[in-house]
Amino acid sequence: MGELSRRELLRRMGIGAGAISVQALLAACGVTGTSENGDAAPSPTDLNLESQDPAGVLNFANWPLYIDPPKKANSSLEKFMQATDIEVDYKTVIDDNETFFGTIREPLSSGQATGWDIIVVTDWLVAKMANLGYLESLDHDLLGQYDQNAAEIYKNTTYDPGNQYSVPWQSGITGIGYNPELTGREITSFEDLFDPAFEGKVGMFKEMRDTVNLTLLGMGIKPADATMEDVEAATNRLIEQRDSGIVRQYYGNAYADALVREDIWLTMAWSGDVFQLQFDKPELQFVVPDEGGILWVDNMCIPKGAEHPVDAHMMMDFVYDPEIAAQIAGWVNYICPVPAAQPILASAKDKYTRTVANSPLVFPTPEMESRLHSYKNLDEDEEAEWNDLFGTVIQG
Amino acid sequence: MATAARRKRFIPYLLALPAVAWLATFFVSPMGNMFSLSLQEGSLERGYALTWHWQTYTDVLSKYDTQLIRSLGYGLIVTIATLAISYPMAYWIATRGGKNKNVFLLLILLPFFTPFIIRTLSWKFILADTGILFGTLKSWGLMPDGFQVLATSTAVICGLIYNFLPFMALPLYVALERLDPALLDAAGDLYSNRTQRFLRVTLPLSLPGVFAGSLLTFIPAVGDYINADILGGVNNTMIGNVIQRELLTTNDFPEGSALSFLLIAGILIGVFFYARAIGTEELSG
Repeated sequence: MGELSRRELLRRMGIGAGAISVQALLAACGVTGTSENGDAAPSPTDLNLESQDPAGVLNFANWPLYIDPPKKANSSLEKFMQATDIEVDYKTVIDDNETFFGTIREPLSSGQATGWDIIVVTDWLVAKMANLGYLESLDHDLLGQYDQNAAEIYKNTTYDPGNQYSVPWQSGITGIGYNPELTGREITSFEDLFDPAFEGKVGMFKEMRDTVNLTLLGMGIKPADATMEDVEAATNRLIEQRDSGIVRQYYGNAYADALVREDIWLTMAWSGDVFQLQFDKPELQFVVPDEGGILWVDNMCIPKGAEHPVDAHMMMDFVYDPEIAAQIAGWVNYICPVPAAQPILASAKDKYTRTVANSPLVFPTPEMESRLHSYKNLDEDEEAEWNDLFGTVIQG
Repeated sequence: MATAARRKRFIPYLLALPAVAWLATFFVSPMGNMFSLSLQEGSLERGYALTWHWQTYTDVLSKYDTQLIRSLGYGLIVTIATLAISYPMAYWIATRGGKNKNVFLLLILLPFFTPFIIRTLSWKFILADTGILFGTLKSWGLMPDGFQVLATSTAVICGLIYNFLPFMALPLYVALERLDPALLDAAGDLYSNRTQRFLRVTLPLSLPGVFAGSLLTFIPAVGDYINADILGGVNNTMIGNVIQRELLTTNDFPEGSALSFLLIAGILIGVFFYARAIGTEELSG
């Protein structure tokens, strides 16, 4: 038995301690679950915003083509800035929900401010963020216009009961946008997106919920009733579509550009976008497929730790004034949450705005509403599975 | 006396301390964190726990082997192509550049004055189906109407070559510039013709530059995701896109981290064999 010198002993003890602490360190790394964090969401009265003054600054993140042009004189943003003296920094940075959530998730999970005061995200993301505790509760005492003017179906929604965290910005339909001059015929069905005659000229969305839910509808399955087998079948259809070279690319908001540039002839599209593109390219058409379309609601909400919540509330309330809502709806051409805007638009001087007032795509009729379905509500495990399956489609 | 000697022993460690601290904070701990993450299981809501779940690595390898191989393939093509383009260019500038050498180097570097994404986006405009280049050619009837480069692997590889060309050109230039013309003269005195002089003197002496340039090009090109995102189509997803989607969209951190380590391992193995092939003894010479 050799002699164990003191130095050798200390060395070995050091290694042993190091190994144990490395194990502990590695275990300590990583992300703690947010639902474990235990803080209950603050109730609306906790914020106590009425006593605060607006800060005079507002950082607003939104999707492109979602407000009347801000730089023009008399735009709704200009009117807001004049009425309230708040400087609005309006940035159209949101291209699709998942990517945008990826950019703000990190500061939110470590409890830091994201730099945004208002963000506009789709209903399912509102539910997800509220669940994770990433949204500030709204103070409805500051939202008088909203309470007064919003349509009933937008109050107390399934994805945000009592509108505790969000108020609708615009609602919209996912359908098909196309250029009849290039396709050569009218497009009426979801199956047209799978037509080999349009090889390489079809666009699909890379946003999982839009594409998968619309494909399910195209197969005759209501999203709310869809089982995992249905989703796998839908995935296989989409993979077939991709492998036969029909799809050119999976797009975020950039599909609008591609449609105008004639890279694609027909694509999944959002209702209001195509309306606006018709200014530059009048031949573009939007159609809700025969099998049905998806109805979604984009909402304004305040991320946790936002630095100017009072200014955010003032903006939220401002856009529910019927005049302002009419101005935005007349430009954006998405489904307006303020019914009182319709008569304002109908009595406008120019024919285009009157057409907008009468369009079922902006103020849906009951017949249109019967053809529209919402996204399927997904819990975390389902969402992971859907994402996995969809990943095999968009990542060739 | 003993204390002075003991203090002297610590000085090398103290001198190394800033660099070690920097590496430890910004390299070792993030890598350790990611390694730990790759072995965890869980989700955003439930939290993650370290369970030494090595299966993540095999899962991810079987799921994304196509993208991994595709990325390594693209990286290889890009390295060879940039080598083929940069070598004559660097050789010319080094030997015949004369007093305008700096101007030529500036011209190579000039695109880098604009951000990476803007450069790639500008390629999207140039390669557009009905854009400046192809639109004009198509209207003159020189190209079939259905011809398309954007959203294919050609576009992605062209974008990668364009973006990483200076990384290959500059090390090559440095290696070629250090070439002693006297050596070429000596070879000429020994009755070698120009081809032999190139193959047996210039080329071996420029190998350190080739080695450095290939590493600087291959490694970032394999992990790139911007070119595939902007210029690519449906079957051009690179491993960088996959990792980005895993980490930012699906929030599957264990898979994303495991993929990152697999990528690092793949590149290290490739580089190891490459270094053996080229021979690193000349690098210090």
